[in-house]
This record gives sequence, C-alpha cells and structure tokens, in this order.
Amino acid sequence: MTENKEMLLPKDTRYLKYPADGPFDQEKARWTAFNCSRCSVCKWVDSWRVKSAKYARICPQHTKYLYDSHSGQGKCDLALALIDGKLQWDDDPEIKNILFQCTMCGGCDAMDKGIRDAELIKMYRWLRSEYVKRFGPLPEHKTMTDSIREYDNVWLQPRLKRNNWVKELKGMGIKDLNREKSDILFFAGCTYGLSDELKGTIVNIARILLKNNIDFGILGNKELCCGSPPSKTGILDEFERLAVSNIKQFNALGVKTIITPCAGCYGTLRVEYDEIEEKKNFEVLHVAEYLDRLCQDKKINYKKELGITVTWHDPCHMGRLGRPYVPGRDLEGVYEEPRNILKSIPGVELVEMERIREYAWCCGGGGGAFTGFKDFARWTARERLAEAMDTGAEMVVTSCPWCETSLRAGAAGMNEKMETVDLFDLMVKAL
Amino acid sequence: MKNRDRNNEQHQQILGAFQTALGQENVSDGPATMNAYFGDWLPPKTLGTSVPPEFVVLPNGTMETQAIVKICNRFKIPFIPVGSNQWSLSSAPNRPGTVIIDCKRMGEIHEIDEKNMFAVIEPLVSLAQLHAEANKRGLYIGSPEASAQSSAVAGHLFQGMWGVGHRIGVAYRNILGIEWVLPNGEILRTGSFSQDPACGFWGEGPGPDLRGMLRGYAGALGGVGVVTKMAVKLHPYPGPRTWPCEGHIPNQVSILPEDRFSWDIVKYDDLEGAINFMYEVGRAEIAAVLQKWPTVYYAWWWANSNEQYWETWKKRTFQDNVKNAVGVSLWGFTSKKQFEYEKRVLEDIIEETGGKRIPREIYDLWVPRTANNWIRDTNGSRMMRPSGTFLALRLPTDTLRNSIGVVRTGYEWVNKFSPPILDSDGPDWIGGYDFGHFGFGETDFPVEKTPEDLGDLMNKLLGMTKEDLQNGIENGIGPFLGGTYHAMAGKVFKYDKLLKGIKKAIDPNLVSNPPHNIPVED
Repeated sequence: MTENKEMLLPKDTRYLKYPADGPFDQEKARWTAFNCSRCSVCKWVDSWRVKSAKYARICPQHTKYLYDSHSGQGKCDLALALIDGKLQWDDDPEIKNILFQCTMCGGCDAMDKGIRDAELIKMYRWLRSEYVKRFGPLPEHKTMTDSIREYDNVWLQPRLKRNNWVKELKGMGIKDLNREKSDILFFAGCTYGLSDELKGTIVNIARILLKNNIDFGILGNKELCCGSPPSKTGILDEFERLAVSNIKQFNALGVKTIITPCAGCYGTLRVEYDEIEEKKNFEVLHVAEYLDRLCQDKKINYKKELGITVTWHDPCHMGRLGRPYVPGRDLEGVYEEPRNILKSIPGVELVEMERIREYAWCCGGGGGAFTGFKDFARWTARERLAEAMDTGAEMVVTSCPWCETSLRAGAAGMNEKMETVDLFDLMVKAL
Repeated sequence: MKNRDRNNEQHQQILGAFQTALGQENVSDGPATMNAYFGDWLPPKTLGTSVPPEFVVLPNGTMETQAIVKICNRFKIPFIPVGSNQWSLSSAPNRPGTVIIDCKRMGEIHEIDEKNMFAVIEPLVSLAQLHAEANKRGLYIGSPEASAQSSAVAGHLFQGMWGVGHRIGVAYRNILGIEWVLPNGEILRTGSFSQDPACGFWGEGPGPDLRGMLRGYAGALGGVGVVTKMAVKLHPYPGPRTWPCEGHIPNQVSILPEDRFSWDIVKYDDLEGAINFMYEVGRAEIAAVLQKWPTVYYAWWWANSNEQYWETWKKRTFQDNVKNAVGVSLWGFTSKKQFEYEKRVLEDIIEETGGKRIPREIYDLWVPRTANNWIRDTNGSRMMRPSGTFLALRLPTDTLRNSIGVVRTGYEWVNKFSPPILDSDGPDWIGGYDFGHFGFGETDFPVEKTPEDLGDLMNKLLGMTKEDLQNGIENGIGPFLGGTYHAMAGKVFKYDKLLKGIKKAIDPNLVSNPPHNIPVED
C-alpha cells in the first residue's frame, strides 16, 4: 500500500497525534473543551456495556443534579466560556458547585476516551486550580489544606502519630527505611495510617507480608501525604511540594518498589507524579498487585473457609485513573488482581455488579466531595450500595480507605444493610 | 438578540411561575447553567444565530410539562424540548428569552410488554437502555449510527436511519402510541393511548394518523410540542440476553454468537454492483443489516486514537480494500436452520452478482471492533475524531438505485469545497431499508474545525441547497441546518402551506422551538 502525499490533512497537528505529554495548561484545557461535540458519552456507561436501564449512568454529579452544566459536557462549555471571557469566574456562585461537587472519579473521562483523545479529568484539575487561584480553597477544604501545610497529612494529626499502627507489630521486624535498607517501601498513606478505624487493615497487610518473608520497610514519622487531596481540590502548589519531597525522599533511600494499600495514593504516585519534573526511580504497585503474585504462586496458606458471597467495588484511582494516559491504549488498571485474590480465598464467591472496571460507578468519596458536599457523597455511595445489593452479595469488598469510609457512611441509616470490608481484612479472616 | 436581565420584573414573574409549578430546585436561570445549553455540535459562532436560554426547567411527567408549556404561552416565550440533548442538534436557542425544557427527570421505562412486543418509555430513556432491557426479554430495537446514548424518543422522531432498518424499517416507522403536550398546552394521546393512557400497543388513529405531525424525515425538531411518553415496537431477537463485549475502552470487541449471527463484507468493482447486491439481498428477504459504508466510516468507527486514524488512512488500509463494499449481517431469527439457509442464499447472491469478500486480515481487523455498532452503536461519536468535527452535505431518501446519483453529485460538492473539507475518499453512505424498498444516501466528511471555515462552508451548503432546489432535487439538508436556514424546509417538503397551517393551529403563539418545524412568520 502506498502513501498518498496529496491528502488533505487537518492543519492543527493535534488532530494527527494528540500530545499526551507536556503540561496541561490553559491552551490544552481550551482545546479539550473546544473539541467537545456534545455527544453525551460522558453521561452514560459505554453503550456496549449497558446491561440494564437502572445502571446505565456513569456520572454521579450529572445523575444527581440533572442539569447538563453539571456533566463533562457542561464543564467543557464552562471552561470554554471562562477561557474566552464569555463568563467571568464570579458571574455565578453555581460555578463553584459545578467544579467541586464532582467526585473526580474519571467515569466521564474514561467514556470520553472511548471516542476521542482527551483528558477531561486533567481539565477539571486545571479548572479547580484556576478557581483556587482566584478565591482560595473551598471553606470546606480549608481544614484539610491547613492540616497538610502544618502536619503533612490531611487529618490534623501530629507527625508522631504516623507510627502508631506499627506498635501492634513491635518486634516482628518491620524495617524503618530511615535507618535500614530495603528495596520495598510500604507506603501506608495518611488515611489508613492515622485512622483508628482503618489502621487494622494495614496491620493485617504487614502481617501477611512478614509471614511471607517479604523484605520491606516503612517511613514511619517521615512519611508525607502523597498529595492526592490537594491535587484533586485545586491546591496544586501543595501537591507539587509534596510530590517533589516524596520523589526526592524515595530516590534518596534507593527504593525500587513502592507498595501501597491506598487507591488514592496509588493513582497519585503512579500517574500524577509523572507531571513532576523530578524523575521517579521506582515502580509503584498496589498491595493487591503484589499479593496477587503471592496468591498465584500459592504462597498464601489459607486455613479457613469463609462461606460468603461478595462483590468487588473498583476504586477509581486504582482502576481507570491508575495508569498514565496513552491514546489508543487500553484503559487498564488494577482490575483483575483483587478479583484473583478474592477467588483464591476458600469459600468466597465473587458476584459482579453491572458497572465494573473502567465503567464502575463511584463511591462518592473522591475529589473533595466527601468533605465538601456530604449529602451528595452519601447519595452517590447509596447508589453504589443499591447496585451491590442487587447482586445478592452479602458484602462489598474494596481496597481504598476513601471508598470504605464513603460506602460505610452511605450505609448508615439505610434500611437494608450492606457491609463494606477491606480486601485484606477479608483475606486475613481466612488465614 | 439579548435575554432579559435576571432582575427584570417579567423575568422574575416567569421564574416565580416556573418555580411554583416545579419547585425551586427544578428551575434555573443561572448563567453557568444556561451556558451548557447554548451551543450545538458545531464550534461557537459557526452560524452566529444562537443565544443562551433564559431558563432551563426540569419537569417530571406530562402534567408538569403541560404546566410549563402553558406558562410559556401565557408569557409568549419560546421553549425547546430536549431529550438526552446529544449533539444539541436544533436545540440551541436562536431567540432571546428561550426556555429549555430538559427532560432529565423523565427517564422511566414504564412498561415492556414481552408478549405484544412494545415498550412505553419517557424522553430521557436512551436507546442503549431500551436495547439492554429488550435484549433481556429476547427482543431488540436498533440504534442510529450517532450512538445509542441518545434519547430513544427523540431517536424515533428524528430520522432514525438505523442499521437494522433493512429488517424493521427506520425508527419513525416503529412508533406506536404517543402522549404529547401540544405547543398550546393541550395534551394529545394517539393510537391506543387515546383510549387507555396505560396501553400503547397500537399506533394508528383513531381517525387520521396524527403521528405524521411529529415524526418522519428529520421529525419536527421540537417545533410541535413535547412528547412525554411514547410506545415503540420491539422485535424478536435471537441473541444473548446481555450484549457481548470484551476488552477495555477504547479497544473493546463485540462478537455475537456465531451459530446465529454473521457479518460479511462484500466488495464490488463499482457502486452499481454494490447496489445491485443490496437489491438482491432485499429481494431474497434475508439479513437484518444491509449497509454500504464509505471508507471514512470504516476508519471513523474503528480507529482508537487520532494517530491511528490518520496513520491508517495514509496507508490507505481501508480505501484500498473496502471501496464499494457492502456490509451484511445475517441473523438466525427462528433457528440455526434458518441461519444456514440464509447463508446459502447469500453465497448464491454473492456468486451471481460477482462480489468478492474483503481480505481476511481486513475483516479480522475491522469486524470484531466495529461491525456491531450497526446493531447497538457505541463508537458513532468517533466521527469527530479526524478533525474535531464532521459535516454532511446531502441526506436524501430515495430509491436504492437513485442513491448512487445522490452520492456521486455529493463527491462533486466535496471536491469543490476541499479544503476546508479534508481527505475523505468520496464519501458515499447508502443504507438499505425495508428489504430494499428504499435507500438513504449521505455524504459525510471531516472538515477543518474553525468557526471561519465551518461558517463559510455552511453558507456554501445553503447555496448548494438552493441550486439543488432549482434543479428539482430534494436533498434533505434544509431541516438539518436549523435556525434561519430552516427556511429551506418548506421548499424541500413542497407542502409548506399544510405544515404552516398545522403549526399555526397548534402553536398560535409560536412558542415551540421557532422557527421549527417550519417558519410561519412571513
């Protein structure tokens, strides 16, 4: 076949090859918005994946608030109007809601990538940062922002408390990478590490790793927030500060592999750190990816049969937002590994919800919505729990502290009960 | 061309009336919300006729919609109904003070009657939703090639040239009962809804068939009121209860069971050969889908990135292998035996008409990822990929044979307007419907996406339409141009007096998406 040199090709070379590299600046935001054709794929689950009328929507914000302004399409319209000066940032207080109600789950972004080369989620981050430049962080996010600035974590906790979860494992040989060497860093994350309710999960994970003689270490009091919350809520200077500090620290310690149980940390370390000039000398894995290898090698010795039916909720940041974007490449993520682990546990039957993998419905916990728009976050979680109940499962299993917190908050007050359990807590029950 | 100020007394009166009818949360006049209903699928300023709406309202059901329409009549303000609002074709306001009636709270499937094979749906229900629910029950509908995320109600009213039309006719032929708020605020129920609002199995009458006021080629584009409920036909389906789809976005594949479904792509030396094949397939009353796609369609629906699109196009992968090819999908509706029979008939037709199957490697490249879009479409919006937008210049229904002439004159216009029209290899979509009773020709192409290029091209299209009309050619483009260009519609239809009479009778205050479906002010 011969190449025809007389072809009339578009003048704008971005139509010939989308520039996925480089900073996502105003020009890129405008181009993303300008090329929205109002096709509405951002509002629905991919048509080939629609299994019922009930679970056909992909965007929690648009499904709840209904107006097209509160969808991916509407945000493109808004971006274009703001950039072109047709609307001013202070023209309408609803601009704040349009930009910040969104859970940044990336559902619209994933569906959009099915039909065009674009990065909606980056456009939202850009819009939020522009908003924050003008008006400062949302009052609802201010505590979190102050906490990060003061304590390098989002929970207003002193740095010393970072080490509390390890106390239960004293004498079991967990290395402190500030003093000892290991190729593997276990990055606990602020939420698992500092929450009394959630820290049991990372204790369980550490026990599994230790039992399997995995040589790993932690940063203890020196662990910083990964930067995910400020990144999602428009406070990009804080994100950059944390990202640069973390990359430098990890590189200096000679860490080869970071494993984290937190989906938010995972997506941030693995994908968003690519935006930072400081280069990563390490790979990032979710604990599920790491433990799946042990399961595949039959190195996990289960002793109990659980006799339970469960469904798996895909956290957005270890799924559709868990890989750097390469146009045309599959929207892969950590989808199969947790499912493999669940299937490896004796007496666990996995039943799937209708919306899974890259077309999963969000838990409501992301993007600052859980702190900024509590009722909406709870509604989103309840939609997910209803979907889980329809599978006949007895519990939802997931592996993200934000998903777990949001789904549990959503379940409170519901007539029907649906428990949310962390993957590794379930795993430990069978050991 | 300016809306009232939000502090204007009448604006506040109207706002209050809407809020009383629907509740405060279901009415918006905020600039950021209005901004999302301002544009259409073309870049801003392409036609220069649209203004933001003054209100967006979210009624739930027929009675609330009626209340809104009555308020619009009281204040003599225009309204535009939207379903899923896909592409916003003809729904961008072109007059100040417009109210968008957004049907987002009307998304229920009221009923699927399996035995009598019909569904009763509200305007937000998407074709994918309806298809999925129908499939669960051994039934199906189609979806037009602009993607199944569009409203099923709007899709049935507007054109509806879906792939399965070879078997079940175009979408508007599948409408049964309608519940409809007329522009004057009256409620009209047609077909069996007129006798029992809960029962939608029958579409005709009573008396004259009033569906014709709404549906048909390009429909009424919101110009004759708001459909709040519709009964549509469903058809027996031999496929799986869940739509088959494997892999991840953007490389998903869909393969229907091979013992009941097949795709053949058959190539001919020229368009005449392809159309002759389509006639013969229709005459044999076999197959569910029969389409002659242009080579751009092969690339549009298939390519998963901008780079893949243009690199494949530059290599002429499709241009050299599928020119003048027809896609035909056989379905074993009643049995495997019937499926085997149809396969034998198809073999005979291919042999008798001198057809050749496209190379196996091209078939394997294209069919799994793409072909089933003509049954349930998900990649249609990839039409925008090559340059950010596309346009169509001729879209008439005609006999299959005459469609050849339609697309050939289309080539001439494409050449004349290139650039800004970009490389498109003589685009010539010809769909076959009702077993070959008629065809539909369309000339689609990628075009430079700048307001200047597109605006200039749209004006040239208007000139082309005028020239066509002078030559007695109905080219179908008038209704699609919308806005002021819609003035062409009357001449296209050649029964403009009757249309105007209908519009004036049921829309005395000219509030329902003027100037659609026909301008009456002159």
